[in-house]
Amino acid sequence: MADDHDFHSGESGASETYPAQCSSLRKNGHVLLKGRPCKIVEMSTSKTGKHGHAKVHMVGIDLFTQKKYEDICPSTHNMNVPIVNRKDFQLLDIVDGYLSLLEDDSSVRDDIKNPSNELGKEIADRFANEEQLLVTVLSAMGHECAISVKNCPK
Amino acid sequence: MSDCRSIEKVGQILCDRGRPLTDRFRALFTLRNLGGKHAIDSIVRCLDDPSALLKHELAYCMGQMQDPYAIPYLVNVLKDTNQEPMVRHEAGEALGAIGSPAAVDILKEYASDPVVEVAETCELALKRIEWLHSNDKSNLTDNPFTSVDPAPPSTENNIETLRTILLDENLPLFERYRAMFSLRNNGCKESVLALSEGLKCGSALFRHEIAYVLGQMQHEAAAEQLIISLRKPEENAMVRHECAEALGSIAKDECMKILKDYSKDEERVVRESCEVALDMYEYEKSNQFQYADALSKVAEDQIK
Repeated sequence: MADDHDFHSGESGASETYPAQCSSLRKNGHVLLKGRPCKIVEMSTSKTGKHGHAKVHMVGIDLFTQKKYEDICPSTHNMNVPIVNRKDFQLLDIVDGYLSLLEDDSSVRDDIKNPSNELGKEIADRFANEEQLLVTVLSAMGHECAISVKNCPK
Repeated sequence: MSDCRSIEKVGQILCDRGRPLTDRFRALFTLRNLGGKHAIDSIVRCLDDPSALLKHELAYCMGQMQDPYAIPYLVNVLKDTNQEPMVRHEAGEALGAIGSPAAVDILKEYASDPVVEVAETCELALKRIEWLHSNDKSNLTDNPFTSVDPAPPSTENNIETLRTILLDENLPLFERYRAMFSLRNNGCKESVLALSEGLKCGSALFRHEIAYVLGQMQHEAAAEQLIISLRKPEENAMVRHECAEALGSIAKDECMKILKDYSKDEERVVRESCEVALDMYEYEKSNQFQYADALSKVAEDQIK
């Protein structure tokens, strides 16, 4: 697993996350939990006491490791939200467990691992089957990984 | 879960003088969150309690519920000069929060009450009801909290201008309150510091409201000024009480220390506020999800 990612030393540092009020976050959105970029899978808001502020309980799944994280935060406080991008690449080859992916400018990327999970197995099998494939790569906080695969549109 | 019997049980916790005040407060906020006639009946039953702090919170909660069913009970409290000024004040404010024109005559009568906090509160409540039934509600900032406030936010948005309005003691209290709620809604540190300045202003009612909104904001930049006010023995007890609870809500380590010190204060209302504030601190610092947790407590007791 990609457990050795270090999310505290992103190269650019500047615009990998942005702050958002906790109460503005939604299920299926993204948030940083314990320093990890997560997709929110559960969210509940407490009732309020005297000062009328609530706590928000969030459960998130790490975008890169699928590990579960949770946190409780006052609803009016800010949380960091990772900037998440998705991009489709045509798959050209698989070399030593790395994907060869065609960039828009026709250059080739070969720095993204074929994941060592069910998806990686599916990519390898379908590629061996000579299917024309598009691999979706997700990026956040200076890290990238393949998250899905589909056939190239004819 | 929130059937009549559960409400009844939560009401029993609220009225049980043998229970810690902290449990009774949590029960009260559970009833406020549940709402309805039965919850209000349970709250009303407690209005003869010896704790002014608890009674003022009963009136506060009835206002926050905004149920006209509570109006006659609140009117009785406002009229009852045997009730402490802070309890009567809260009843007046609650009538403003419910916002019914049915309360206008009684509020007009008590806007000249000899107790200045009561008179000022009734004046504010009248202004709020008037505003509520006017057509001038556009372009106001949203309240990020679930509180019903004694005044709407200002139409002004510039922090420096709001600060000037807030601290100008020649302006009507209602205008200054509007500036207060705009600064609170804004939430930035500059707003917190402007509001903290308000703790040095003239009206005790105004200072107590400042302390309340600082408790809502939970910004540690307010702690220093709140501690100064809590420490002043000559400060109005209603203000010191609100400062204590705000410190419990901000929940920094230095807040806990001072709350422990003042839980032995000479003034009962300050002592009790520190006790309640330490419970709020505990809630904020812990992984407890619900502060108003009396329903689940009642359910647990039934299983046992």
